[in-house]
Amino acid sequence: MITKFFAKVVVRFNPFGTEAKTARLLLSAIPPAQRIQGAQIQNEVLTSDSVKVPTVKITFKDKTEMEVDPRTTSFQEISNIFDRHSRKLSLKESIENS
Amino acid sequence: MLERVRFLDGRSLARSLNIVGRFNRYRSVGLLLSTRQLTNGVDCDAERVTAKPIDSRKTFLVDSYKHLMEKNSVVLFLHYNNLLKHEDHHYRSQIEQLGGKLTILRNNLFKLYLKNSHLEDPCAPVKSKNQSKRHPLLPLFKGPTAAIAFPETNPKDVANVLKLLEKAQDKLFVVGAKVETESYDLAQLNKYKLLPDKTALQGQLLGLLHTLSGAGLVKTLESASQSLYLTLSSHRDNVKSEGKDD
Repeated sequence: MITKFFAKVVVRFNPFGTEAKTARLLLSAIPPAQRIQGAQIQNEVLTSDSVKVPTVKITFKDKTEMEVDPRTTSFQEISNIFDRHSRKLSLKESIENS
Repeated sequence: MLERVRFLDGRSLARSLNIVGRFNRYRSVGLLLSTRQLTNGVDCDAERVTAKPIDSRKTFLVDSYKHLMEKNSVVLFLHYNNLLKHEDHHYRSQIEQLGGKLTILRNNLFKLYLKNSHLEDPCAPVKSKNQSKRHPLLPLFKGPTAAIAFPETNPKDVANVLKLLEKAQDKLFVVGAKVETESYDLAQLNKYKLLPDKTALQGQLLGLLHTLSGAGLVKTLESASQSLYLTLSSHRDNVKSEGKDD
């Protein structure tokens, strides 16, 4: 997964639920150096009696927001969805820099 | 809360001694002789049958997880987000100061231990149908996981560690816990950390029983034997008076 263009990541999940795997793999895919460089990462651990819906929400550096339901998508699918936009941004960046 | 604390029986003590022995064997050849001597008296390797080779890392780790779960009454499970070296070092030392120990777990081996935890030897070859696949902690082992173990049941320690981890935010956060024989989620753990410690709770129970006994608990308990005594003594009196009459 290309995480370079993430500006803000919001992850909300119940660790005992089906969404836990996707959410936790996504969190672990973001390198620790990126946190230092200023990417905001917020996570919220839900419990079985909380009413909030588990979610993965990413704001890119060009302020595009994307939201995915981790209960129905695997980590591979989620990374494909986000990579589609990240590749656009990386292409744009390489054109601008040349 | 006030459930039994499991003590290790002689056999598992021998096994844990073996863990130490094997661990030392991993670390240095120089210690080999002394650990052999140490474990010589209680060596149960001879008859022990394991699915993986007896001196393999997998067997060692599953044994060490058994040790971790049975020796420590409180174990917190955390999501461990690839920390930098100095961050890892910082949290490890901080947790140690608060009386806990941070261990990074290997998910598949820990899941294997949980599935086999009801069996006598979790490393022994086992049929799939004999494994318990409904262990409440099983869903926690997806993605990088660590454990913080406390040998004593003390909610204050847990509260301190949770406070420390608040600062860590997404780097290190609690996803679940094992307290004595129960498994807790975060909400239950937050309630648990507010409780007084075990000795204080036992004191409270004792105090409650004392105040109750003033009102009538002792009387109720004594009443049966007392009434028996009274009946018998009146019967004795009757017998005596009958004897006099004759």
